[in-house]
Amino acid sequence: MAYKIKKGLAFRRIAGEVYIVDAARCEMRELNGTASLIWEGLAAGRPVAAIAAGLMAEFEVPERTALADVAGFVKDLAAAGLVEAVK
Amino acid sequence: MALRPVARRPGRAAAGFGLKVAGQALNFESYQPGIISVLRRRYGAFTGKAAGGYRFSLTAAPGSQSPFRPAVAASGDRLEIGRGDFRAVIGPGRKAELTAAPSEQTLDAFLRSFLSFLLLRAGGFMLHSAGLVKNDRAYLFLGKSGAGKSPLSKLAAAAGLEVISDEINLVRPGSNGFRAYGSPFWGEMRADGRPGSWPLGGVFLLKKARRNRVSGCKPVEALRLLLRCAVNFDRAPASAALALENGAALLAGAAFRRLEFSKADGSFLELI
Repeated sequence: MAYKIKKGLAFRRIAGEVYIVDAARCEMRELNGTASLIWEGLAAGRPVAAIAAGLMAEFEVPERTALADVAGFVKDLAAAGLVEAVK
Repeated sequence: MALRPVARRPGRAAAGFGLKVAGQALNFESYQPGIISVLRRRYGAFTGKAAGGYRFSLTAAPGSQSPFRPAVAASGDRLEIGRGDFRAVIGPGRKAELTAAPSEQTLDAFLRSFLSFLLLRAGGFMLHSAGLVKNDRAYLFLGKSGAGKSPLSKLAAAAGLEVISDEINLVRPGSNGFRAYGSPFWGEMRADGRPGSWPLGGVFLLKKARRNRVSGCKPVEALRLLLRCAVNFDRAPASAALALENGAALLAGAAFRRLEFSKADGSFLELI
């Protein structure tokens, strides 16, 4: 399943981390290095499998681990209301 | 509060007042001289006119401060800012109308709302902070209520340093880096402030403590407090994106450190 970043969020990479601001809810979140890569993959419209492939190349982790990590994090983002499934 | 055009009164001249803060010029004109007198009394230290400034047609009208938080709506070349006791419509060509209760509190709330909007779009911020000048450079101390902005400012003033503001400071990029500008917005010290600008020497995350100490801080801590201390009533995503962009530039352009200070005396000033 593909996901996209919800409308109304502003984000930017600063000093190696991605900061996300939800102005309507007055909330800010920061993402660490791996999470930032996943977020930026979603922002670029890449499917989960392609993002996982990027992590495999970057961190030399097995495909199964990368896929599970990306899927788990995307699930967390969806639960936090930051991304939504693309129908 | 309904917005109405200023009623022209034959044979009666309009009163005017020009204000210049942080490089932004705002000119007000009204056929109700009482509200212009309020502006003069409150912002007289920042009197100034500049070509190309905003031109407000000002009308006095009663109103309550509820809702208290101003609402901002920007669309194309039209901006509306309002709360219970004021409503401003800024249109093309910097021509604008402001209907407001003739009180210092109301006009202050409008100016904070509008200038914070302009500063964000000029690459800067209006910041909840204390600001002081040392060795011709400005230092800002970020902190929300209770962080110690006013005690720090009073100790700095007692030590003979110039305080820019103990509550709201204005910062924007200049040709040689960020500069802090004189602020008419004050807290407990209730001073007038004065126009002027100083190169930004550094930004401190402020915390009251028993001992004075300066230490480093992580970018995430600095950015989080910077955005929390930024005055911004515009809830639009584009405004949040600007705040992030300006925050990144300020983090890159100024040294951010943490200051723990004791309000027992002004000895912490030696660490600045």
